[in-house]
Amino acid sequence: MKRVGKWVFFVVFILILFLTYTSVFGIYGENGDYKITYIKGIEDIRWGIDIKGGVEAVFAPADGVDANDEQMNAVKSIIDLRLVNQNVTDYELYPDFSNDRITVRFPWKSDEENYDPGEAIKELASTAQMVFRGGSNQDGEELLTGKDVKRAYVSTIETSNGNHSIVVNLEFTDEGKTKFSEATKKYLNQTISIWMDDTCISAPTVNSEITDGSCYIEGGSGDGGFTAEDATALANKINAGALPFNLKIESYGTISPSLGTYALTAMGIASVAALCFIFLFMIIMYRLPGFVAFIALLGQLSVSIMAVSGYFSVFASFTMTIPGIAGMILSIGMGVDANIITAERIKDELWTGKTLDGCIAKGTKSSLSAIIDGNITIIIVAVILILVFGPANIFSSLFGVSTTGLIYAFGYTLLVGVIANFIMGVFASRLMLRSVSGLKFLRNRRLYGGKKKS
Amino acid sequence: MRQKFHIDFIKKSKIFFAISLGIMFVCLMLNIFLIPTRVDIQFTGGTIVKYSYSGDLTEKQITDVAQGATKDTISFTFAENLASSDSNSHMVSLEFTNAKAITVDEQDEVTKAFADAYPDNNFKVEESSSVDASKGANFFFKCIAAVILAAVLIIGYVAIRFKKIGGMSAGVMAVIALIHDLIIVYFVFAMFNMSLDDNFIAVVLMILGYSVNDTIVIYDRIRENRKKMGPKATTAEVSNASINQCLTRTICTTVTTMAAIGSVLVVSLIYNIDSIISFALPMMVGLVSGCYSSICIAVPLWVMWKNHSDKKKLEKEKAKKSAAAEKKAEKNTKKSEQKKTADVKSEKKTAEKLSLKKEEVSEEKSADEPVKETDADPEEKDSQEEDSAEE
Repeated sequence: MKRVGKWVFFVVFILILFLTYTSVFGIYGENGDYKITYIKGIEDIRWGIDIKGGVEAVFAPADGVDANDEQMNAVKSIIDLRLVNQNVTDYELYPDFSNDRITVRFPWKSDEENYDPGEAIKELASTAQMVFRGGSNQDGEELLTGKDVKRAYVSTIETSNGNHSIVVNLEFTDEGKTKFSEATKKYLNQTISIWMDDTCISAPTVNSEITDGSCYIEGGSGDGGFTAEDATALANKINAGALPFNLKIESYGTISPSLGTYALTAMGIASVAALCFIFLFMIIMYRLPGFVAFIALLGQLSVSIMAVSGYFSVFASFTMTIPGIAGMILSIGMGVDANIITAERIKDELWTGKTLDGCIAKGTKSSLSAIIDGNITIIIVAVILILVFGPANIFSSLFGVSTTGLIYAFGYTLLVGVIANFIMGVFASRLMLRSVSGLKFLRNRRLYGGKKKS
Repeated sequence: MRQKFHIDFIKKSKIFFAISLGIMFVCLMLNIFLIPTRVDIQFTGGTIVKYSYSGDLTEKQITDVAQGATKDTISFTFAENLASSDSNSHMVSLEFTNAKAITVDEQDEVTKAFADAYPDNNFKVEESSSVDASKGANFFFKCIAAVILAAVLIIGYVAIRFKKIGGMSAGVMAVIALIHDLIIVYFVFAMFNMSLDDNFIAVVLMILGYSVNDTIVIYDRIRENRKKMGPKATTAEVSNASINQCLTRTICTTVTTMAAIGSVLVVSLIYNIDSIISFALPMMVGLVSGCYSSICIAVPLWVMWKNHSDKKKLEKEKAKKSAAAEKKAEKNTKKSEQKKTADVKSEKKTAEKLSLKKEEVSEEKSADEPVKETDADPEEKDSQEEDSAEE
């Protein structure tokens, strides 16, 4: 057997302890009153609506209208706009173009005592009121409404100095054409503002009288004009105001923050209890390999937490739900299987009376196929769970988005758990075991479950 | 090989079959006549709203107000509100039984009705969910498709894996054990009156992946022991030894997994969180069932099947052997002289072992083909086998 240096154990051990500590508590710095996050801990995890409370709703065009992609983008942008107006910033929005569905999730604002999530959902789904007004104030004369606009789209034009600039084109309906030509005549060289609900989304100046029923809006007074993003956003918003259909609320759910916090506490207690039990069990059953297994388990857990929180502040956090935590706890329980199989094999080998090193080598080698077996089926299942309950993907284009996204996190933590198990439970724990078996005072066969050397 | 346990699982298999079938039968009867299966609004469509309120109100006071505010029929569930620090806080869950989503407005009316009727009781929506019926149906089909896809993939994996370790018959038995576990999971949901929802699908998928794992490990051991224990051991003996050798591992793994999900269950029971209970409880039972079915269903069934098919093969071989023996007498080759031929015809046990060895040969040759009856002299083959075994 290839010898592994004695120091390896301590290096891996300290590394795992470091990962465990940082993934749980994070590393923060201070810059005056401002808190800087270097490494994200558990408190930086973005919790799902079942934990911090929140609202989930699925919108669809009413009356079975088949919306095209442009219209769906318009729907998305209007919901975006309204969420921002409601001061909701931490939301998730999943459009499903093949089924014309839009799923929205956002946290319940816990600081508001009388927050009415039902009202919030209704507001999101209400028909967009787009009005073109004379001047830049909301009380300006109403010139055109959303009905008069056929569509808006982005294109580029060549400006007088030879540059290309991005513009938003507007096409009007026949009725809109007349109205708009009158409006541009009246407000020539003045501002016409476009209002969505109570928000001004654009306030261009009329450069000339427009009679052919189409115009374009040039980006602001700055040098660059519109960026492609800005232009698309504006076009989407205008399209939203011109949507030929209403939105209906297909399904919705709300959970109050108090219930969620309560559940989180429960899951926290459960995971600590599970860890303690497994620790004792492994030490009693397998002694030294059991202890190594537990260290590896801590490593596995920290890798899982890192995969959820993002660990480094540049990575976004995964949205964690109660079933997600359950998946994490479950993968802890299943994770030690790799160590159990190996430890059992080593015990078997010790019984035959071989040398300790030989036993460890043989035991780790012969157990690998069983470990892989156990994990492949779990990987299959985890991937399918992610596909079924996850946001828009191949699977949902066939069957529509899920009514609830809570189980998605279960699939995710399960998958991450298996991968982490290969890194820690298989690779790291073998490394540690080989290394630790080189320490003289730990070479007693009884520590590995064998008989006392005769 | 070291073996802690000496339990004759194969001999006791009839008891295990009886237990499993008995439990399933009782559950089925209860399910049909006493406890109907509930399907969650996630699949059927509908609306559930949970309110919390403080103070004492009779159930009738609540039902009257709610029912007065809507045309739908409502079914009520009452509970304590453990999440609140206020000890006199209660929960009431309203399920609008019409299989359609009620609008936000309708729900608001009920909420308003509560607030108007009992302004001091602090009625608050704690949880609500409303699903359109067509969307529910869509979600249902999606879940079914997912389960089928998972089942196909798992069975595919079993097929690939079992080509090496026990042949197709073992794979079929593993799948039977899998179905057994899924049925048990279903009955846990039905018997505890938990409605079938996304948790159910998650547990079913999880058990699909988990349960087959134990079975594969045991069959792997059987294959290993078949070589080690030599031709004298019967299928039952080899299987028993393999199960017993794997037992420590199976139990330990199940214990740690159960400890993990068990602590979730216990805590959720203490805290009374329904959505976690309906996840953890069936998962836990499913894990136990998965462990049990590998040992007590899959392997004993396979042994029964093996013995049965061996018997059939033996009869065929007997007929061939008599023809071959005549030929051999004429040729009188060296090989047949060396062979002991006497006991082949007489004892069933020997024949069993003979055919077993034969299968190994054919499996080595081409794993995917089932055992083929070849025209070659069986005795000759037998001796070849032994030669290679000696190597």
